Amino acid sequence: MTDFLDTFLDDYFAECDEHLTAVRRTLLALESSIGRSRPDPTITEELFRAFHSLKGIAGMVEHREIEMLAHEMETYLRAVREGEVRLTTAGVDRLMDAARLLEHSIAARRQGEQPIDIEPALAELRQISPDEEDSPPSSALPAPDSPAASWQCLFTPSPELIARGINVDVVRARLREQGDIISALPVVGDGGAIAFRFVFEGNPEIAERDAWVADGMVCSKIDDAAPVAVSTVVGERSAATLSSANHVRVDLARLDDLMRMIGDLVIRRARLGDAIARVESLVPSTDWRGIQENMSALERQLRELREGVMRVRLVPVAEMFRRVPFVVRDLARETGKRVTVDVSGEATEIDKFLVERMLDPVLHVVRNAVSHGLEGVDERIAAGKSPEGTLTLTAAAAGEMVTIQIADDGRGIDTARVIARARVAGLAIPAHVDEAAILELISSPGFSTRDASDRVSGRGFGMAVVRTRVQELGGAISLASTPGQGTRFTFDLPLTLAITDALIARVGGETFAVPQASVREVIEINTGGIHALETGELIQYRGAPVPIVRLSDALAIPVRPATRLHAFIVNAAGAPIALVVDRVVGQREIVVRTTSDPLIRVDGIAGATDLGDGRAVLILDVAALARQARRTRGIVPVRETA
Amino acid sequence: MTDQRSDQYILFTVAGTTYGLPSSQIAHVDLVEDITHVPNAAPFVDGVVFSRGQIVPAINMRARFGFERAPIDLRTRFLVTNTGNRVVGLLVDSCREFLKIDAASIHPPVDALGGAAGSSVSGIATSGDRMIVILNLNQLLASQDPILAA
Amino acid sequence: MVKASLAALSGPCEFVEASSGLEAIERLALGPIELMVLDLNMPDMHGLEVLGFVRSHSKYRQVPVIILTTRGDDASRAAALEAGATAYMTKPFAPGTLATKAQELLEPGSR
Repeated sequence: MTDFLDTFLDDYFAECDEHLTAVRRTLLALESSIGRSRPDPTITEELFRAFHSLKGIAGMVEHREIEMLAHEMETYLRAVREGEVRLTTAGVDRLMDAARLLEHSIAARRQGEQPIDIEPALAELRQISPDEEDSPPSSALPAPDSPAASWQCLFTPSPELIARGINVDVVRARLREQGDIISALPVVGDGGAIAFRFVFEGNPEIAERDAWVADGMVCSKIDDAAPVAVSTVVGERSAATLSSANHVRVDLARLDDLMRMIGDLVIRRARLGDAIARVESLVPSTDWRGIQENMSALERQLRELREGVMRVRLVPVAEMFRRVPFVVRDLARETGKRVTVDVSGEATEIDKFLVERMLDPVLHVVRNAVSHGLEGVDERIAAGKSPEGTLTLTAAAAGEMVTIQIADDGRGIDTARVIARARVAGLAIPAHVDEAAILELISSPGFSTRDASDRVSGRGFGMAVVRTRVQELGGAISLASTPGQGTRFTFDLPLTLAITDALIARVGGETFAVPQASVREVIEINTGGIHALETGELIQYRGAPVPIVRLSDALAIPVRPATRLHAFIVNAAGAPIALVVDRVVGQREIVVRTTSDPLIRVDGIAGATDLGDGRAVLILDVAALARQARRTRGIVPVRETA
Repeated sequence: MTDQRSDQYILFTVAGTTYGLPSSQIAHVDLVEDITHVPNAAPFVDGVVFSRGQIVPAINMRARFGFERAPIDLRTRFLVTNTGNRVVGLLVDSCREFLKIDAASIHPPVDALGGAAGSSVSGIATSGDRMIVILNLNQLLASQDPILAA
Repeated sequence: MVKASLAALSGPCEFVEASSGLEAIERLALGPIELMVLDLNMPDMHGLEVLGFVRSHSKYRQVPVIILTTRGDDASRAAALEAGATAYMTKPFAPGTLATKAQELLEPGSR
């Protein structure tokens, strides 16, 4: 019995999330309709649908607060839609407040906490909605319902409708029966979906209109003052329902299970490969060919399966970026600044898990940018900048990595101030403070740019946690800043979380894995070729001196002296560095498992894996090791001129 | 965690003392396998173990309580604990018993019990003429590194 | 008639018919459509309007479109090609011509 209810509730919460996302997005768009006698009908229609649905599903699980809130929001919106009240900034604010309460209320129910008090919000909404009994207040523009009013009908085609015999021509014929069609145009929506927008004059019955909804036709009245021209923004809103037809909602936990099973399969295949390799000498060569081919095919098919499941987990970055305008709007208002948000590459796909883990860090950096990075209107004008600050979010995928950037055109980072702060906090300050060093300082626990009382950017989520979160995901952060011009944070994240190609190396008696993607080259060094200088050891690599870091030193592992050693050439802050091991013994596909428990979270270790023999093998974070070397030994890598 | 009438405990020994943890917090008890050393981890952390498909940090309980480490023998056991948030393993000298302990027979810890064990002790139970130190798992797992104390 | 002449195409082909500009776009949306043969004279929209829509849509920009019309003058041809038509044919046409052109455009690598 409890199981059924649990699944039911899971569905409920999932649906709530969907509707809330639509509400958040549409409320922002509604702002453009403030002050008009009738707001853009597509927007109100979508909001209305969302509130109505929320009310319905909340009723099914007896979530009273949501039911009542959604009902009041619906009532207010209906009044606005019918022209009984004019949409004002206050009205939109109250809707936004109520939307926030909806979120909290759902979260509270989800976590089994006390229900939130919604009385004040309800009262506020009732205040601005007309009473049910009152006739429309005089503030509404008189809009007599003449027998033939202008209507807009949005038709969204789908295979199901075609199967039922309903296509755009049928729709057109229906509308023609109702009145005169003034225009009929295709419109493009979210993700390129196509719908058709008809403008016609007539007076279709409510019953008729409701019946049409089931056939993909959504009608709404148009005010004379409202623009009839089609804009892609309008199109996007209305085509939102197109996606539900061919999709299945999947619990992320199930995908995690699938990924884990595939990971186990990968390991199993590797062990099989090892076992078979051991008996190669016993098998006649004619049979061996067959075995080889099957093993190769198996490896290929597993890879395809793995990639297939990974694709299922991919969602557009837009899911993460969507929250940003909302947050920026609130913050900008609170701080009295004006900010526009520019987003590009939002169709870039990333693993859903990444979205969940990166949302907070992204929002933190965004909040910092708005509250500390961007200047107020006056300061900007005085600096010769546009009064409105710009926050730019970009996402791009390149091979196995996805890069997310958050940039602002504000003050840039005040290096002197950071150094002063760091001194006060007792942090060690390097001799040469470049952008990497600044990032290091502001990400150190104990550093903070304002008092704890600065609630705008605080809330316990500092840059230190951002960095930890990114590192846990196997990613990297970098910083670029120009005083007076702005700051840019760049997150580089691996797309493939779970399985990656790695080089296996031995240092002393221990085995380590190094992700192949972070290695430029593997070379052999003759110990005679190592030059010892004051600052450390160097070798010649492709004609240029390159610093080396002995992993036996960095990881405190005793090793025997040898004449020949192997090294990984990796990039650290744009310059190559050689990480020296005893031997690189092979290359394997490994399943990356996190080592996020605080007891074992150490710099230089990116995770752990197993090579099929039951033993844990640590995965090295070569970038961190190289950084560490730079710091402790004061190595300034020689930059390549190429 | 507070006042259970009578609860199942798993008992284990570390350097001659018998300790107990509620069995609900123990996922499984394993024979010790290879422990992979993690450089620069806390001093009482031996490293990580790959146990049942998971990477589990291993706390050496002798080291945790300030004793010298002992070589692993046939009686050494690896207790994998699960608090819901974290999965952490405890390396102990031996572990063989389940015992039902009445809440009534658990006395609050004496002030005299100091050292690293002090804050991790939630009570002392008596069973017959035996003394069993009941541990607070969350305190036990708290890292000593001030930076990481959330 | 168009279907009949295209029946000569080698390989299995599925034909989708639309009797208006909007329906043509609808069919395209519900696709996948690999080749469009578009008449200019349609009851609700001019063929070039449909072409314009197709060419401005990121997803369908690459679909080859053969414009079919009675107007054989150079100006019309130029206008159609500028609007993004892949090929321009006048009616009446020899039965084989359409099939040949279609075949050519359906070959991979011809886009």
